[in-house]
Amino acid sequence: MKPKPNSRTFTRLLAVLLAFTFVVAACGSDDADSGDATVDTDLTVAIVAPSASEDLAFTQSMVDSVKAMGITPQITDGTFIVDDAAAAIRGYAEDGINVVIAHGTQFGGSLAEIAPDFPDTTFIWGTATDTQGLDNVFAYYPEADQGGYVNGVVAAQLTQSGTIGVVGPVQAGDAVAYIDGFAAGAESQGATVNITYTDSFSDVALAAEAAQAHLTNGADVLTGTAQMVVGAVGVASENDIPWFGTQANQTPLDEGLVVASQVYHWEVVLKEMFALIEDGTKGGQTFALTLENDGLVIEFNDGYELDGDTTKLAEDTIAGIIDGSISTGG
Amino acid sequence: MSEFFTLSVLVATLASGIRLATPYLIAALGETIGQRSGVLNLGVDGVMLLSAFFAYWTVLETKNLWLGVAVGIVVGFVMGIIYGIITVFFHATQGISGIGIFLFGLGFSDLMFQKQVGTPRPIKQLPDVSIPLLADIPHVGEALFQHNLLIYVAFLLVPIVTFMLKRTTFGMNISAVGENPQAADSLGVSVAQTRFTAILIGNTMAGLAGAALTLELGIFQANLTSGLGFIAVALVYFGAWRPVGVMGGALLYGLVGATVVQLKALQVIPRSVSDIASMAPALLTIAALIVLAGRVKAPSALTRPFSRH
Amino acid sequence: MTTEAPLLQMRGITKRFPGVIANEDVDFDLHGGEVHTLLGENGAGKSTLMKILFGLYQPDEGEVLLRGKPIDITSPSEAIAARIGMVHQHFMLVPTLTVAENVALGIKSKRGMLTDLDSVSERIREISDSHGLAVDPSVEVWRLSVGERQRIEIVKALFRDAELLVLDEPTAVLTPQEVDDLFVILRRMTDEGRGLIFISHKLHEVMSLSDRITVLRNGRVTGQTVPSETSREQLAQMMVGRAVRLTPDKPDVKAGDVRLKVRGLTVRGDRGTKAVDNIDLDVYGGEILGVAGVSGNGQRELAEVIAGLREPEGTCTIELDGTSLVGADTRTRRDRGLSYVPEERMRDGAIGDFTVSENMILVDHGGERFSRSGLLNFGAIKDHCTELVQRYAVKTPGIDTPTSSLSGGNIQKVIMARELTAEPHLLIASQPTRGVDIGSAEYIHERLVEQRSRGTATLLISEDLDEVIGLSDRIAVMFDGRVVGIVDSADATREGIGLLMAGVLA
Repeated sequence: MKPKPNSRTFTRLLAVLLAFTFVVAACGSDDADSGDATVDTDLTVAIVAPSASEDLAFTQSMVDSVKAMGITPQITDGTFIVDDAAAAIRGYAEDGINVVIAHGTQFGGSLAEIAPDFPDTTFIWGTATDTQGLDNVFAYYPEADQGGYVNGVVAAQLTQSGTIGVVGPVQAGDAVAYIDGFAAGAESQGATVNITYTDSFSDVALAAEAAQAHLTNGADVLTGTAQMVVGAVGVASENDIPWFGTQANQTPLDEGLVVASQVYHWEVVLKEMFALIEDGTKGGQTFALTLENDGLVIEFNDGYELDGDTTKLAEDTIAGIIDGSISTGG
Repeated sequence: MSEFFTLSVLVATLASGIRLATPYLIAALGETIGQRSGVLNLGVDGVMLLSAFFAYWTVLETKNLWLGVAVGIVVGFVMGIIYGIITVFFHATQGISGIGIFLFGLGFSDLMFQKQVGTPRPIKQLPDVSIPLLADIPHVGEALFQHNLLIYVAFLLVPIVTFMLKRTTFGMNISAVGENPQAADSLGVSVAQTRFTAILIGNTMAGLAGAALTLELGIFQANLTSGLGFIAVALVYFGAWRPVGVMGGALLYGLVGATVVQLKALQVIPRSVSDIASMAPALLTIAALIVLAGRVKAPSALTRPFSRH
Repeated sequence: MTTEAPLLQMRGITKRFPGVIANEDVDFDLHGGEVHTLLGENGAGKSTLMKILFGLYQPDEGEVLLRGKPIDITSPSEAIAARIGMVHQHFMLVPTLTVAENVALGIKSKRGMLTDLDSVSERIREISDSHGLAVDPSVEVWRLSVGERQRIEIVKALFRDAELLVLDEPTAVLTPQEVDDLFVILRRMTDEGRGLIFISHKLHEVMSLSDRITVLRNGRVTGQTVPSETSREQLAQMMVGRAVRLTPDKPDVKAGDVRLKVRGLTVRGDRGTKAVDNIDLDVYGGEILGVAGVSGNGQRELAEVIAGLREPEGTCTIELDGTSLVGADTRTRRDRGLSYVPEERMRDGAIGDFTVSENMILVDHGGERFSRSGLLNFGAIKDHCTELVQRYAVKTPGIDTPTSSLSGGNIQKVIMARELTAEPHLLIASQPTRGVDIGSAEYIHERLVEQRSRGTATLLISEDLDEVIGLSDRIAVMFDGRVVGIVDSADATREGIGLLMAGVLA
């Protein structure tokens, strides 16, 4: 009567299921690998990133930037487990890829171990404000508070109630910079900003309820950052509430209600890095995306009409941040 | 804090808690049926992800919400067949097979999403349906009777599942194979058939839960459930394998989550303790489990494969 | 009995498992109105034969005829439909369900998908009234005593109108009074013309209940007889294949001084209730003190607390040869001369994955005899263990065989060998022969008597009344954590002890 797990058969079944996944996955990556476009450089490039490459947020912004440079990178995405990312980074370096982009603050520890083993490879790591003293690592980060400030100023013009709701993920990295910049901008115009961190990058339902709670408390304009905000945008759509985006252009989520998005153009700093690499510098420098170097661009949605005064105010604010007359508090 | 105790905020929090609780409730009720029959399914989250994706994709392509719900249910049913074959007929270790199902669901739903959809594109959400008369009750109506149809279905499932477990021969067979499969077998009750059916029902409900989640949010993305299915499994323990208890657990989890979010929106919870506050639902559940530990008994044959030899 | 075809005929049944022939050319028949006992040691093939009858196994050869007609039974539901019922040794009950629900399981409800417990309860009451089986249909089974649970098993069979009922060791967990009650019920059933197959290894029960007895050994029928023409000794011989002494000769031994002295001992059980409640005991050198009682009345906790595996509650006295054992660790207790043969031999007595020799030196491996500066002296170990295997007649391929591959009786001999080599002053033997074949049991009994002769104080805890009465000098009966009586074994009767065990005279 003793139960006897038939583990071998089970293992086989599981293997079939997983193999099926990999086969489909392999078919998928064929599209990405085909075509070997190099415009400015012969350098081979790979990206390792924690979320989906088409997440309309953090990862997509990097993939789009590299593609905009006319480079077709190899991509390993969805590596939210750091060990998987580390394996992918080392794998690309071993394969002789010239430039490996480790697109995630959390990959820093792995990089400190891997980079010294491959002195001829350049690792580009962000978002990070220093290179950990490694001379074959370039670091990059967005001064997200700048675009946040602009979005905040514009948002304050749209609110009737004077209250704006913000849905953030975990208090870390560029999310905090964006949100603090946004709050500073909106408050400079006399609006009240209510900020909620849901403490999750992935809980879409909770982000939706956070947005809902802001509406209950009188907010009539919303913004948010990180990939779980798709839930909050849904709530904005349902209630006809204007939305401000960041990281990537979020207009596709609601073509009528997304007012503007702060978009990261990593290619601006990547180009500088690639130029240095071609000249023989493998790393050791840190680059920031700013409004001034066009690494940050506020992309307005043509589908959402702003009046002339507001547009003018936005332009003045951008100019003010660039010339240093406005401090974004970042 | 006083702002929280205004009626409109309380009503909104209650409604929010009920929305949050719904996917947990449906999935946990299904898991309750499976566990009562002696089968632990840790793959709930994976099944939810798969059915959520396919429901979402269906609605994206056809604009037909109810077809989406149907597809979610069918995907759950199919996953039930797979899990049933693995655990009932091959006597596989349930814990690890469930994790296998979860990983498959997590990976495959993301893969299909990236291949077929790419960037998250919004779909129609399930419309709210006001229940005549009841919805007009001041405040209460707004909190309880203005939700989408699947939320009502979720709460209706509580008495239905209770009745099924307590008053039908099938429910009696489920309890028997979950407590003492040898006894059931000796009386001519097919352990395999009973467990397989229980797994099918449980997975189908996980499928419904996944559809309810994606159609409530009107969006899909990788790992949409964010571990929701695992919480649902924990809520079965919390609810002591009884549908009403499971409902209590789901509501507690949802309402505490909603309250925290509401208090954050009111800026009552300072940013410095935001992360600790976010753990409140999980901490409360763990605390309740500790208090309940030893007072309730799991089905004796839970996780134990059955064979005659 | 009728001259018609027997109720059941099993002819030439052979059932093979990989490496084992469980049944070989077994013939067995049963008439309505009789009790036919199937007797044999563990592994003799009784269970296999009955599982074939109940559709759980298919025979490789042979045929089953029911009421004269060949029948092919492939599942329990087919057996039930053929009016074959089975009361399993381990009750086939769902504790969380009510009596009525347990009885109704597997039966098609008159209300379709809905349960039909009212009419089921009605039938249960009818059956219990007409057969003297008092049961309340609405109670959950977990609330019931062992005796009541057994009655439900019988009700289940009667509810399905079983004409042929198999009872697999039904008395294993019952008090003597409950056994008597059960036999009355069984007789009433044969009076109705039903046929009963009684499976047991308790010889006096077999002698008192059976109309016919068939004995199995190693899968084959070794004899068929009737009680009036046989004796317990003969039956045992048929089971074992050689003459067996059921109760060992006890030489006269003059009792020595008190070796174990227990006063005011209270112990909490696993569930936090008082498992042992204020017990006083003395065990003298050269004496075997038997502890009788229905399982779960504190015997296990008593043994464990003296062995040092459990903490006593409050202040109490536990002295061995005048020195207190309270607070001493198990090592100290062993050094003072305590040996322990535990009830759960594979959990507490031996390590299954260890070899025979490793288990034999498990306690002493750190001592001077088997190790030098922390290194094991394999030569000495080998000599010692080879000798023990011979002296204790352990049937094993070698001293390096994993212990778990031995039979229950031989594992027990390995443990006994280890414990008795220590030349104990006090020996605690818990259920020393449970699940052990008769041959090994006989051997183990002889060793216990030998210890008695050399002046050891022995605490023998056993649920086997024959064993307790046969071996002990005095018998302490435990009920509900208390010692409710101590009787001289010369004056002891099964009935008297049975009443004490049931708490009747407490």
